[in-house]
Amino acid sequence: MNRKNPYIDYGKKILIFLLSVLILSVVVFYVARLAPGDPLVSYYGDRVEKMSMAERQWAEENLGLNDPIHVQYIRWLQNALKGNFGISFKYKTDVLEVIGGRLVNTLVLGGVGFVLIFVLALGLGILCAWHEEKWLDKLICKVGTIISCIPEFWLSLVLILIFAIHLRWLPSSGAYSIGKATDIPDRILHLILPMTIVVLNHLWYYAYMIRNKLLEEVRAEYVLLAKSKGLDKKSILFRHCLRNIIPSYLSIMAISVPHILGGTYIIETVFSYPGIGTLSYESARYQDYNLLMLLCILSGAVVILCNIISQTINEHIDPRMRESEVIETTEVTEIG
Amino acid sequence: MAELLEIKNLSVSFDTPQGELQAVRDVSFSLHAGEVLALVGESGCGKSVLCKSIMKLLHKNARITGGSILVDGIDITNYRQRDMERLRGRLFSMVFQDPMVSLNPTISIGEQIAEAVRVHHPKMEREAVHQRVIELMELVGITEPEQRYGQYPYHFSGGMRQRSVMAIALASNPKILLADEPTTSLDVTIQAQILDLLRDIQRKLGTATIFVSHDLGVVARVADRIAVMYAGKIVEIGTAEEIFYDPRHPYTWVLMRSLPSFAGEGEELYTIPGIPPTMIDLPPGDAFASRNEYALAIDYEEMPPMFQISDTHYAATWLLDERAPKVTPPMGGDFHG
Repeated sequence: MNRKNPYIDYGKKILIFLLSVLILSVVVFYVARLAPGDPLVSYYGDRVEKMSMAERQWAEENLGLNDPIHVQYIRWLQNALKGNFGISFKYKTDVLEVIGGRLVNTLVLGGVGFVLIFVLALGLGILCAWHEEKWLDKLICKVGTIISCIPEFWLSLVLILIFAIHLRWLPSSGAYSIGKATDIPDRILHLILPMTIVVLNHLWYYAYMIRNKLLEEVRAEYVLLAKSKGLDKKSILFRHCLRNIIPSYLSIMAISVPHILGGTYIIETVFSYPGIGTLSYESARYQDYNLLMLLCILSGAVVILCNIISQTINEHIDPRMRESEVIETTEVTEIG
Repeated sequence: MAELLEIKNLSVSFDTPQGELQAVRDVSFSLHAGEVLALVGESGCGKSVLCKSIMKLLHKNARITGGSILVDGIDITNYRQRDMERLRGRLFSMVFQDPMVSLNPTISIGEQIAEAVRVHHPKMEREAVHQRVIELMELVGITEPEQRYGQYPYHFSGGMRQRSVMAIALASNPKILLADEPTTSLDVTIQAQILDLLRDIQRKLGTATIFVSHDLGVVARVADRIAVMYAGKIVEIGTAEEIFYDPRHPYTWVLMRSLPSFAGEGEELYTIPGIPPTMIDLPPGDAFASRNEYALAIDYEEMPPMFQISDTHYAATWLLDERAPKVTPPMGGDFHG
């Protein structure tokens, strides 16, 4: 018998993950250095303009920018493997420190947003499928289409105008009021507007997907048999149809984690929300190499990881995949 | 005595972008308790639609445009889906054509049968449900039911799946079983097994059965009575003997002529000329006229009524009118031509 060892499978996946991240780091490292611009500006600011050639030489030497790119890369990789990702040219501190707090902010915004999207899309999709082609379904689909067509930055500005400026119910920017960094309710209040935009921006696509997949499933032949048993609409939709679309929904949602997280970058900018979105933009603009590297590798790793997770979900959740192992064992016992 | 099922002048139409498609036209028949009635006809003649309209399993673009359906003397023509849910499974249930797609791929076979047991007995104990499922699996000839309970449809062959579908259909002891070409998608040896099983179960439980098929050879094996359908209408109905030994409708003749067993050795198989009409904007008169070598002039103008031949035998062809010329049917046993 030649049953696959699941550990070899996982080992392969981890290997693929590490390899992908390594390749990503090489590409980002080269492209960043080939891009036009002066990295010294982000370290020394305006003083760079007044530097003599000798001073420049010394500064570049000091930051290790004079060596050939591959030497620089190997040095960076050696340090990175020890957990030392260098300092940010702009902030003059360890990049991990620069990213730390902001990463949490982005994860709160994107992560909670993701969970909300996941749950609301499922609910709305089911609601639409239940009321297929009735007014509620049509209304939700139309509203969704319209909101999806509105650019998120514009919608953000409109919501700021209404809720922050005219009504004065909600703060317009930031993650917390000044001096209230540990005040949880205050932070939640600051999250409402950006979170609304994140959710509104992505919700409809997934809700529509659930609706259509469910309706496709409702037209499947097995539903006729389920109906002819005497099952009611509720059991057919929830016990039969929903069960068959959840695996593909889970795997699609896993792929879309980076998509949703990426969507928060623009929103962070509009709401001046201190996340890693604004930081990524700055780091690329000011040639803050070390910071850029870490941010790219972090987001790249999330993308690759989510793809692998979605693949794994696909392989394991469907009984047609899962049960093939059981069959093999029963056959073996019968023969033995 | 009230019939178990009585269909009176039933018409079913589909709304399509091309217009109204009349799938079932003015069909009347009845089903007695404990008998097997076969519906025979070419693909697209409305057999399946007729069955599904009885159970109200048709899509939303289908509607009953006339006539009535009476079950046990109760008129269910205008029943809504919610009313139907209480009847389905208990009063009638259905076996479908393709067992490869009629089971839910992600629910175990045992669980799917159990669901059918529980639906009309929600308070039944777990153990009793399990017991009943095993009993049903044995009834339909699934070996090692305990082991097979937890297996999924993809573990099952086509024949085994059709047996499971039958177990589901029989779970709540329905009075009427609608079998919509239950053997068509199975291979020939399995077909015979499933037919025998159907017949055995029908005899054992006395379930009245409507058996849909396009194959007269298959029908001969199971049917007490036969209704031949063409273009949404029943053109001839009678007992199996009457249909096989004394067919009266030209369409029944050609159906039988095209059976392989009727062709002599070395002869080419007979095929019915032409194609069935589209069911949108049907011409006046008999829909079969253009393919009928015995067609009379009146066939193109006026729909033939049902002529009575005996208490049980009716056919809709102008050839049975007393003014019609006498024709010798190309086949059949004892003819009164």
